[in-house]
Amino acid sequence: MITSLPGDPGSTDILAIANLPILWLLAVGVFAAIILQTVVYVRAARIAAPAAGISSAELKTSFRAGAVAAIGPSLAVVLVSVALLSLFGTPAVLVRVGLVGSAATETASASIAATTMGAALGDASYTQSVFAVAFMAMSLSGAMWMIATLVLTPLLRRGDSRLRSVNPALMAIIPAAALLGAFASLGIGELRKTPVHILTVLTSAAVMGMCLFLAHRFNVAWLREWGLGFSIVIGLFVAYTLHTTGLMPGA
Amino acid sequence: MSSTTVISTPSAVLATFDRTTSRWGRLTMIAALVMSLAAPLYLVLFADLGITQTQVWIAFLAVAAVFSVLWVVEPITYYPILGPAAMYQAFMIGNIANKLLPSALVAQAAIGAKAGTKRGEFSALMAICGAAMVHVFFMLVFVGLLGSWLVNIVPADVTDVARLYIFPSIIGGVIVQLVVSLKQPRVTLIAIGTAGFVFFVLVPAIPTIANLATGITVVTTAVLAWFLRSKPRSDSTKEIS
Repeated sequence: MITSLPGDPGSTDILAIANLPILWLLAVGVFAAIILQTVVYVRAARIAAPAAGISSAELKTSFRAGAVAAIGPSLAVVLVSVALLSLFGTPAVLVRVGLVGSAATETASASIAATTMGAALGDASYTQSVFAVAFMAMSLSGAMWMIATLVLTPLLRRGDSRLRSVNPALMAIIPAAALLGAFASLGIGELRKTPVHILTVLTSAAVMGMCLFLAHRFNVAWLREWGLGFSIVIGLFVAYTLHTTGLMPGA
Repeated sequence: MSSTTVISTPSAVLATFDRTTSRWGRLTMIAALVMSLAAPLYLVLFADLGITQTQVWIAFLAVAAVFSVLWVVEPITYYPILGPAAMYQAFMIGNIANKLLPSALVAQAAIGAKAGTKRGEFSALMAICGAAMVHVFFMLVFVGLLGSWLVNIVPADVTDVARLYIFPSIIGGVIVQLVVSLKQPRVTLIAIGTAGFVFFVLVPAIPTIANLATGITVVTTAVLAWFLRSKPRSDSTKEIS
């Protein structure tokens, strides 16, 4: 597959260049950076835990709860990634869709970039050069998110510690308000799409409500951790049924 | 750990934690940034595809026109929820709204920690570490190793449905969990009211702000929640300054 000159600008055989060993190496490198970061963070948190008023058992519970809660969403990202493999090749999908970005932003970026070259994703106009430009554009866009994070985090932190010391009441309300605002906005954004979207949101919400109620009523702690997984699977099942049987207009 | 450890004050320990996580958070993020750019750069420069600089810039500007606001708005939006350390994780691991925030919330609920406290921050950090490891494992195994094989066995309509409806099936559950665990009925109503106003009044009136909708909702909710909070009588006189 690999020759000294792998590229052929007009060829639509994307995977011939999208799966080059050097791209694999760089993708694995990004994963290694995340693993290293996690190891450093967990060690730092263990050392500082008593000072933060959290026990090491609670740290462990948090780690496990986060891991379990991520199973459903991660499997969902896996499914979407698999669907995008033929478009971008494995290394690009691993880094762009699996990490850093999301399926929604990255496919949008790729599609916008392809359009500037008079091409569309996945059809006969989607050549190796279009793929390379699209991959470059979405990587640059993703890089801007990271650069903004690198620049803004220290600035926000300075402002934040001043706010905290000046006004603790403010810092008690703002995070809760930001969270509720963000998810209310994302949720209502979904309700505007199609009846299937609306029913999926409602199903997921109802399943979670049921899990939390049962967890509280009968004191079953694990239901709290698995609630989101159940919400996602049952939500997707309802969406699948409605979508494939055509009972309702979907996307 | 051991009895010989120098006894230091909690604030000194936390300052060390902040320094360690900031330094390593930034270093690892910069490494990921460089490697993620090197891959497409290699194709553009060395794969003999005849790509010009102009083509790359035009494509980038077109993408920037859509996403540039989010580059800045998202870090500001998520900062109060994540805290400084987790920021470097979140924007490298990605899938923040549909995976990392839900994980952090579940963990905080599991140990009864509130967002905005140190306990909450540590709990969220560990939850994101847990989520990151699960995610890295799943991606490497199911996409990296088994991906090309899975492409052939998962029916196309299943992947279609997953792609189209994964977000709504996450968001419904997350909202309910959030409302139940935060127990802030007043802020909840403000958030829903604001989001409704932004999506059903503001965006239809000014369609160009659609990409900003979440940012606007977050800022407005925060401001309204602050000014409409239940204040003790003695506190209200101090606010006017």
